[in-house]
Amino acid sequence: MSEAAVPASNANANATEKMASLVREAENLKTKLEEERQKLNDVNLSNIAERLEQIAYVNIKPRKVLKGHQAKVLCTDWSPDKRHIISSSQDGRLIIWDAFTTNKEHAVTMPTTWIMACAYAPSGNFVACGGLDNKVTVYPITSDEEMAAKKRTVGTHTSYMSCCIYPNSDQQILTGSGDSTCALWDVESGQLLQSFHGHSGDVMAIDLAPNETGNTFVSGSCDRMAFIWDMRSGHVVQSFEGHQSDVNSVKFHPCGDAIATGSDDSSCRLYDMRADREVAVFAKESIIFGVNSVDFSVSGRLLFAGYNDYTVNLWDTLKSERVCLLYGHENKVSCVQVSPDGTALSTGSWDYTIRVWA
Amino acid sequence: MDVMSSSLQQQRVVVEQLRREAAIDRQTISESCAKMMKYITEHEQEDYLLTGFTSQKVNPFREKSSCTVL
Repeated sequence: MSEAAVPASNANANATEKMASLVREAENLKTKLEEERQKLNDVNLSNIAERLEQIAYVNIKPRKVLKGHQAKVLCTDWSPDKRHIISSSQDGRLIIWDAFTTNKEHAVTMPTTWIMACAYAPSGNFVACGGLDNKVTVYPITSDEEMAAKKRTVGTHTSYMSCCIYPNSDQQILTGSGDSTCALWDVESGQLLQSFHGHSGDVMAIDLAPNETGNTFVSGSCDRMAFIWDMRSGHVVQSFEGHQSDVNSVKFHPCGDAIATGSDDSSCRLYDMRADREVAVFAKESIIFGVNSVDFSVSGRLLFAGYNDYTVNLWDTLKSERVCLLYGHENKVSCVQVSPDGTALSTGSWDYTIRVWA
Repeated sequence: MDVMSSSLQQQRVVVEQLRREAAIDRQTISESCAKMMKYITEHEQEDYLLTGFTSQKVNPFREKSSCTVL
């Protein structure tokens, strides 16, 4: 029987039936997923970690204060040379710092305020940045005049760009946006290579898996979820829930098989990808302010988290206990990042400064 | 009818996504977290923020001492 010959009412009934069956299958799969995950929940991470020694004393001190921005610092990134830091601010400026001397080596003013993201290219010769302009722009690192003259717009979202990273080489940039998507761009042509649909809220953060061939990344969103993506297929491979509010930050554990998240619900969480579930919550009753940014020390034992209460908390990843607090900033801590060789921690804040701790 | 077919399409995407997630290999927390702990203990020695520097002289961010040897 041809389509046209099917009476409308029959076709409708057919579609309704299909819909019902799909909804049933979705429910069954969800139940099955939950059961499977529960089966693997044989022990608590903090119980396994009991035999480990307590982290007795962490000797991290404030070493440098980088002053120069005229508004909130929104994002920072360490250069691959382990010495320079790029920062972006609400003031519309990008600054490249020598973190050893605290000197400003370059400053570029963009035609937008709220530059929410900045990232060094793997070569250290370019930086990508963007924010409320919805765009990702690449600057070569040369003289200030040349930087402004040789900038290149690589991609455009339909809402603000919240985060960006170079996944493999200087040739590609991965971005996350307030338009709920992530996107992979070719730098040279500005072509959209892959877009990643799935989140139902603003994407706030992305991070690349450290150990693989660079085909897996994680995203965190205002839909309270963290997704693991396959960059080639554009599909979500795993999804993690648990947070009660926006996920502002996501970071892979250096072992490559777990991720940490930081959320407006004032907790950080650790999700194990092999067990496919949450394995730790880093929270305290006394902590009532949101987490803006998280990062691991190079071994992955310490989790650094920047909070809205102006502090940085250090958590023992395995025991889920707080090791200590770093005080210094005079406003919200917007970004934290461990240097590539693990010798220092940089923190950016709404107090207009960047601090280096070591 | 268009509304119906587009919501059918959406539901198909949801189901396909769940099927993919249901099909992945999983390990128990004890197995997986043992591996994570192994990674951490193997790398703790090179974790300066955790274990500190053997001497502050090797800390590239230390305050330079006010005296210098010429």
